[in-house]
Amino acid sequence: MHSTDTIVALSTPPGRSGIGVIRLSGKGALDITRSLVRDEDFNPEPNHVTLKKIRDPENDEAIDQSLITYFKAPHSFTGEDVIELSCHGSPVLLRQIVDLILRLDARAADPGEFTLRALANGRMNLSQAEAVRDLINAQTHAAARQAVRQLGGELSSRLQPIKDSLLEIIVRLESSLEFVEDDLPSIETSHISSKISNIADYVMNLAATFRAGRLLREGIKVTLVGRPNVGKSSVFNGLLSSDRAIVTDIPGTTRDSLSELISLEGVPVLLTDTAGIRSSDDKVESLGVERTRRAMADADLVIVVLDSSEPFNAEDNEALDSVADNLHLIAHNKSDLLFFENNNISEIAHCARAIINVSAKTGAGLDALREAILEPFAISDIYDPGVLITNARHFDLLQRTHNELITSNEVLDEGRSEELILVGLHNALRFLGEITGETTTEDILSQIFSTFCIGK
Amino acid sequence: MSFDEKFDVIVIGGGHAGCEAASAAARMGVQAALVTLNLDLIGQMSCNPAIGGIAKGHLVREIDALGGIMGRVIDRTGIQFRLLNRSRGPAVQSPRAQADRSLYRTEMRRALEATPNLHLRQGMVIDLIVKDKKIRGVELQDSRRLRSDAVIIATGTFLNGLIHTGKRTYTAGRAGEPASIELAQSLKGLGFNVGRLKTGTPPRLDGRTIDWDSFEPQLPDETPVPFSFSTDRIEQDQITCYIGYTNHAIHQAIRNNLHESPLYSGKIKGIGPRYCPSIEDKVVKFADKNRHQLFLEPEGHHTHEVYLNGFSTSLPSGLQQELVNMIPGLEEACIIRPGYAIEYDYIDPRELNPYLETAKIKGLFHAGQINGTTGYEEAGCQGLLAGINAALSVSGRSGFRLRREESYIGVLVDDLITQGVDEPYRIFTSRAEFRLALRHDNADERLENYGRSLGLIGDCDWERFNSKRDRISRLKYALENTRLKLSDAQFHSLSFLFGSSLTPITLSQLALRPNISSDFIFDLLPSNIRTEINLIELESALADLLYKGYIDSLRNNLHRVYQHDSLKIPSDFNFRSVSGLSHEMVERFERANPRTFGEARRIPGLTSASLSTLLVFLNSQQA
Repeated sequence: MHSTDTIVALSTPPGRSGIGVIRLSGKGALDITRSLVRDEDFNPEPNHVTLKKIRDPENDEAIDQSLITYFKAPHSFTGEDVIELSCHGSPVLLRQIVDLILRLDARAADPGEFTLRALANGRMNLSQAEAVRDLINAQTHAAARQAVRQLGGELSSRLQPIKDSLLEIIVRLESSLEFVEDDLPSIETSHISSKISNIADYVMNLAATFRAGRLLREGIKVTLVGRPNVGKSSVFNGLLSSDRAIVTDIPGTTRDSLSELISLEGVPVLLTDTAGIRSSDDKVESLGVERTRRAMADADLVIVVLDSSEPFNAEDNEALDSVADNLHLIAHNKSDLLFFENNNISEIAHCARAIINVSAKTGAGLDALREAILEPFAISDIYDPGVLITNARHFDLLQRTHNELITSNEVLDEGRSEELILVGLHNALRFLGEITGETTTEDILSQIFSTFCIGK
Repeated sequence: MSFDEKFDVIVIGGGHAGCEAASAAARMGVQAALVTLNLDLIGQMSCNPAIGGIAKGHLVREIDALGGIMGRVIDRTGIQFRLLNRSRGPAVQSPRAQADRSLYRTEMRRALEATPNLHLRQGMVIDLIVKDKKIRGVELQDSRRLRSDAVIIATGTFLNGLIHTGKRTYTAGRAGEPASIELAQSLKGLGFNVGRLKTGTPPRLDGRTIDWDSFEPQLPDETPVPFSFSTDRIEQDQITCYIGYTNHAIHQAIRNNLHESPLYSGKIKGIGPRYCPSIEDKVVKFADKNRHQLFLEPEGHHTHEVYLNGFSTSLPSGLQQELVNMIPGLEEACIIRPGYAIEYDYIDPRELNPYLETAKIKGLFHAGQINGTTGYEEAGCQGLLAGINAALSVSGRSGFRLRREESYIGVLVDDLITQGVDEPYRIFTSRAEFRLALRHDNADERLENYGRSLGLIGDCDWERFNSKRDRISRLKYALENTRLKLSDAQFHSLSFLFGSSLTPITLSQLALRPNISSDFIFDLLPSNIRTEINLIELESALADLLYKGYIDSLRNNLHRVYQHDSLKIPSDFNFRSVSGLSHEMVERFERANPRTFGEARRIPGLTSASLSTLLVFLNSQQA
């Protein structure tokens, strides 16, 4: 049994938990891990745990600290090389790492695929398999329900025209190979090439909605932070337009994190108000501070609230430093009061996505703040495919489709023969088919015979 | 029950499937009888007098590599050889040859008569003798009984054949020959699932009445590429064919007379092949096309008969004559034989195992059109496979099958037994997932080993194959290791290809660049290699180079899909015992009766959940 490709999946249940385990299986598991920790010489001892920083290979940014365990083939669950990454249990973080791994030549595992590999490699006995089969059934039923939803929904119908035009190109090229003696219209290479490019662009744009799509489905998690008494809760309430949080002038009133789901232009936003960040001897309050740090780790976006009427102090700086790795923006609160003149906000806010002046008290600037919350997650206005990708497997398949189309076009540009151009096109069709349903050879032949008058 | 004669294997039918079957069985050392209605019509080309074409040519070369006879016979009788798709990649090039129809027949009969252990018998089989679900022999119309433990039915269009021209119908197996009615009855009686298909043929013209100058000539290849790996050169004189066109007036005349067509009046119920439509179909289904291509193909060196390819029709004979005379250049042409449509019985091939033996009756094999295929090549390869397996079966040896990734024959058989047919099945290159690996020129490399171990490749052919393999491996070594040096004159002449980077390059790297011809590489080979190989062998080696990367990545991609395909499903497997399968899925599995997971995977209409469930169950049972 040789499974040549490497599969990845989150192996702890989805949702928030203390620890999330990402599992990789296949020949490339170790190499992918080396790229993740940015250390080509990383050679973990099998069955031992190593603490390593996971970094984004594109910008070297640290994402998480992770406990890495290497199970060397054949002494692993699947019988292949297996890597388990125990990461912090934030769903956002885990998704981000899985996305990274998908970009590193791994594939999202099919339902039950780890178990199938284990069975195939003789790592499991009959009774274990019986139990797992039920699990697979359950998973596939869930997947089936998902597929039904997708079918009734937008994705399939959006992909259908794309698949049709891909099929049309395949039909043209296949016909010219199979029916060389027939009187078929000639093929214009430049025409085919631009058609393939169009399809590739569309697929890429669709794939690019993945992040937004996921946020749309699960909600954008926005966390408000700031030193005590800058008015976080007032901003929180302003965004909520209700008096949900307790607001007093006594610093540290909000001792725990409060969450509320609001809707901004139809997009669900989970807004979390936090205890202020500062060292405190008060037990209740320091618990709240710990929760704040956790809420920040989970957040898709952090709003740092500053008080524009007072001089910036060390605590403001601490708050800003703590969000340096997060996507964040600054709400410059209390704009109704006089600005403290010596505050040079651009000096301390190096990497904020936006700085918005607001007055929670008068409501001024709140709409601008709402817009600024959505802005980083908005899909390009220029190109809106009208549907969002929410499933990691679909995202993976669309990316693969795109790559195959690009390869085909390169082969076409080199002036190679149809059978070589068709390799990538057939692969692309197969990947799309995993989303919308398979196109068989018989379907292709039927299309040929209904398009062209074939046969002596 | 008493028998007149006893054989090891009996083949019913002397067409392209039957000839291969009888020849293979006999050469494997068993006593084989070929029973046919008319010994003078063995190897008759009922329709187009041509062998090969895209993908079909691949089949013939595979037949040859396994030790079949079709390739040798066409090489000796072909009068126009053309390698199709020359401008495209080597994997989709395929040889085609037009035969001298009468010579082909004569040569096929000669080949069979020269085969020891092969016995020709004329007669019509009217019944199969079956006992305890095993075949025991056959009964002929003249009351003779022939005993055998293996019978291959290769009856082509003869089973319940019904010919249509216009509104007239009559039973026939081919024009002028009787249909096989009792045998069809007998098969139905045995419980086989019988369906109905249709095919057609165009009129044949008297060549002396054609104005040849009105047509464009289509020339044969200057250097014909033979089908058989044993053929050094083609000896037959090569002829020219001609291309012409229909026109709007003809289309209109056909449309005005559709009520005369048995196809459009609803008389024909059988399903015809979409890729071989009648002229009626062409003008109706592609009404916006203002002309259809026609080929005038002379049928031999010693006849004036000309095949009007592209004008298949079942319109009344008188109307056919009028329509033909409307074709520019055929104003004076006389029809010698009118075209016709024929409906015939086929048996659902999903009742076969991969050895082409029926599941219902041990020792009974089906090959050719009875399985729903069309084409001489498709028939020939099934005949070969059935002949081999019949001989193996009576010798108590285990069966021989081919895989999809190693041969077009494997693709064809697998498609038939897992998918069944709903129109006459023809092979296409797009049916083969591994078409880049399945080239016509490497059929010997893929299959000759099998042919040898089956006893169908003689010492002389085997030695030739081995020495060719050695030559090609020396050639490949030379391609990888010969570097063009800066001092080489040729290197400088190529500098336009490389720009300023003048680093030494191997011949194989050079060959992969676009627009580098094989002749060019040939001249750059070391002289010892150049003298022992020919251009065709070089092209074969270069094709391996060209496709290698693609085939590797294709294998990786498809591996995931196919990796469990060889997993066996026991013949007594009870799909109902797999918990978690819906009733509908169980029914689909039971109907298709897959023997491996690969066959199960290709059953139409299954959910991926049901396949996963089956896979886990099978895996766990075998763990």
